Amino acid sequence: MTGACVSALISKAVAPETEAGFGERIAENQRRVFQIAYSVLGNAADAEDVAQEAFLRAYQKFTSLREAEKFRAWVNRIVFRLALNRRRGHGRRLARDSAWQITEARTMVDGAKYAEQQVLLDQLRREIERLPEKLRSVLQLSLVEEMEAADVGAVLGIPAGTVRSRMHTARKLLLEVMK
Amino acid sequence: MKIECEKWKDQLLEAALTGTTAKDLEEHLKSCTKCSTELAEVRAGKARLDTLLPLIAQGAEPQADFRARVLAAAGDARKENRAMAWRVWTLAGATAVVATLLMVGLVFLRRNGPVVPQEELAAAQKLAEWRAPSDGLLRTPGQEILKTMPRLGKSYLNVPVKTDKEE
Repeated sequence: MTGACVSALISKAVAPETEAGFGERIAENQRRVFQIAYSVLGNAADAEDVAQEAFLRAYQKFTSLREAEKFRAWVNRIVFRLALNRRRGHGRRLARDSAWQITEARTMVDGAKYAEQQVLLDQLRREIERLPEKLRSVLQLSLVEEMEAADVGAVLGIPAGTVRSRMHTARKLLLEVMK
Repeated sequence: MKIECEKWKDQLLEAALTGTTAKDLEEHLKSCTKCSTELAEVRAGKARLDTLLPLIAQGAEPQADFRARVLAAAGDARKENRAMAWRVWTLAGATAVVATLLMVGLVFLRRNGPVVPQEELAAAQKLAEWRAPSDGLLRTPGQEILKTMPRLGKSYLNVPVKTDKEE
């Protein structure tokens, strides 16, 4: 097989319709994928890096991930694993955005109330970090938009019923420390 | 919370989380103001938690150009893959050409290589078969003895036994 033939085959594999289809999938999934990474890592820069890496991996496998549902489930799982790996790799060096940075200029109407909320949000983040990993993973994924118990279960490889029960336990522990 | 009310702690949390109160807890609440106050506090805490929890993941958004950046990175990766494929196939092609040339060269050499005269071949054969006359002296008697397996009751070495008469 000549080099020209190989080049032609590669070009065929990433035809313009593939590019367009992939762009669509990014648009459909980017918000959720970013939020999954963000819920684990807690800072926007790392979350974007991880989300991008997850999409690039999906691009390499795009021929087998054309169906929207398949793509969604696959990319959810991959971004969660990548985010966990990065958190384990960075350990304590991983910087967390403070609640002030995240919701800055969103609700500046009632200053005192807003300040109180940010303090509570930071405290809540710390308490979530202290939860056992099984509960923390379920909680972090369940908090992401459009993530139902079945979606969370698919990412973690557990039944939806287990997701609900762990979520309940996690909320109870948080309520006990945050009341 | 009173010490005797400690046992209701878990049920109070459950009541706040599920919104349903068990019968025995309901009875207890009628007579215990401390636990009623505690339940009100836990319910307020639950409402606060419900407000705060969604903000944990939903407070941040990817940047507006995220999609464009991912597509650009995918394009770069594709170009890189293409360049890599070119390199691999070029290397494979060059290896195939060299191997073919070597094979052709070997076949050519075999067919047209120098012919050794018959006399030289015979001399070389003779030389290969030549043994020095002293080779025989280097053999040990043990080698000959070990060639045969002695029968039961016999020995590897045939040692003459002196009889009483000879003595």
